[in-house]
Amino acid sequence: MTQAPPILSAGRGEFIAPDPDAFRRYVRDHKDRRLVSKLITEQEAVARYVSDGDYLAYDQNVAVRGPASLFREIIRQRKKDLWVMAKFTWTDVSLLVAGGCVSKVDVGWMGTGPLLNRAMKAGKVKLIEWSNGALAYRLLAGSLGVPYLPMRYLGGTDTFEQSGAILTEDPYNHKPICVVPALNPDVALIHAHQADIYGNTRVFGAGICPVEMAMASKKVIISAEEIIDTGEIRRQPQRTTIPYYLVDAVVHAPFGSYPGSTQGLYGADLEQWLAFAAAEAQDKTDEYLEHWVYSMASHEEMLEKRVGQAKMDALRAAETLKEGYYD
Amino acid sequence: MTDSDNPTVSFTDVEATICHIAHMIEEDKLYFVQMAGAPLMALLLGKTTRAPNVGYVVEEGAVCPKPEFPLPRMMLGSSRSHFRAVQWTGMLTVDSHAALGFMDYGLLAALQVDRFGNFNSTHIGGTYDQPERRFGGPGGANEIASQCWRTIIMTKLQKRKFVEKADFVSSPGYLDGSAGARERVGLPPETGPWRVVTAEATFGFDAETRQMRLDALAPWVSVDEVLEKMDFRPLIANNLGRMEVPSEDELKIIRADIDPGGLSTGRGEWMTIDSTTGKRAG
Repeated sequence: MTQAPPILSAGRGEFIAPDPDAFRRYVRDHKDRRLVSKLITEQEAVARYVSDGDYLAYDQNVAVRGPASLFREIIRQRKKDLWVMAKFTWTDVSLLVAGGCVSKVDVGWMGTGPLLNRAMKAGKVKLIEWSNGALAYRLLAGSLGVPYLPMRYLGGTDTFEQSGAILTEDPYNHKPICVVPALNPDVALIHAHQADIYGNTRVFGAGICPVEMAMASKKVIISAEEIIDTGEIRRQPQRTTIPYYLVDAVVHAPFGSYPGSTQGLYGADLEQWLAFAAAEAQDKTDEYLEHWVYSMASHEEMLEKRVGQAKMDALRAAETLKEGYYD
Repeated sequence: MTDSDNPTVSFTDVEATICHIAHMIEEDKLYFVQMAGAPLMALLLGKTTRAPNVGYVVEEGAVCPKPEFPLPRMMLGSSRSHFRAVQWTGMLTVDSHAALGFMDYGLLAALQVDRFGNFNSTHIGGTYDQPERRFGGPGGANEIASQCWRTIIMTKLQKRKFVEKADFVSSPGYLDGSAGARERVGLPPETGPWRVVTAEATFGFDAETRQMRLDALAPWVSVDEVLEKMDFRPLIANNLGRMEVPSEDELKIIRADIDPGGLSTGRGEWMTIDSTTGKRAG
């Protein structure tokens, strides 16, 4: 009866050993259960809740509803040695690598290019292989307070070999089954349509796993397009995605996913987004970052001086679909 | 100009592949489509031209949307792509729908594919730690190729893409091809690659040996021309099918509605085909 389940095969990818008990203690000792305002500036939120060496997770990507203004603040504050979760992402990781913020990446999918290839060859950035679903699934395990979960994929592939998954035996029917370790990120960035000052958050539209990510992460920063009244939250509780006690900081960030879109509010600025790819191709990401990030004190200043009201109006006008988001 | 008076049609290999897959779309099935790009374009073309009520899910959790055309150039997860879905949920939900057996077909793109339908989307050349060229990674392909009943893979017919051994197996085909190989690593039984589709040829898999088999040809290529573009020799079906030439109507829908600007479909090898004979014109 004391026999351990057999390990039929194990990937060699590095991961942080899951510790649900330590997570519970962290919640007990650090998460504020009081209904108090958590509305702070972006600068303050990143300074207080993102530390060098943190495991950083975020929902969505620079194309849609990603926390782009928080990425820029992380780069501006020159955070280092982050371990980044790249599930269902785009050029986000390259942007953070260009800023010198990243040492490890858990890969589901990410946009790649010369910058990342060079960083890998120089040994500056180490990748660990999973898949979009496997990373979301690891967050699900983290959100349930369990150390691991069984799943029906990854097995048999090189992806498995480069991951931290294990092929074991189902203790009930003795068939082979793959298990993945729970993931409890140090910090999660979630861009939302609306939040109140306490952190009650509404994410509209399809997403990846904002709820599980908020539950699984030690520190949660919400950037919201709009700060709404708590009375509004309580009148339509069904629309709440994340309740306040999971959240550590609320940042008001209109156009927070610029140059990406936020559904129902504004379209993507494809030209600006392609400018990063062009900068990367010409090895000029330093100039790009200087222009869009370092020379600007804040997201607000960037919107005013680099994007401009006319462009913002045009992007808002370009998003003609409101149905399902605001109706 | 052509030798005959027959009308001609010009398209890229990507457009041809999209049209071939669109012809396979069945209205009474559910599809799991990987991200944006060519696989989603193929599904949308099939939905527009022949299977208006076909259901599909995308990784980011839109369930059976009716996209609003024209799609934006940055279509990934955009509001237009998700318009009038029956549900907006998340990745964990749609992945679970595949795990439960609801997804008949997975629709994916690959950098490299081997004899047993294992495919690569991770790196080309070098080693995993020191790749010559790193690509995006499996994305959702691993869970789709593992859990949908049948997987349709789209790629280009090139020697460096149809390889004896992939540089990296990101997502599973029939693994080493032995009976029960997928089940031995925990994947659901009776699943696996079903078709590999290129502009010039369509492949299936032999039920006994699980090896790739040439099933159908575009009218403008010969068997030898196909085999020359492969690093391994596939099985060859006794009765080879004939793939249809993309029609002007289909191309119009791709160019005006599905990929305006041609960000995905305009890049690639252009060809001009005689619509009547199906042979190369000019």
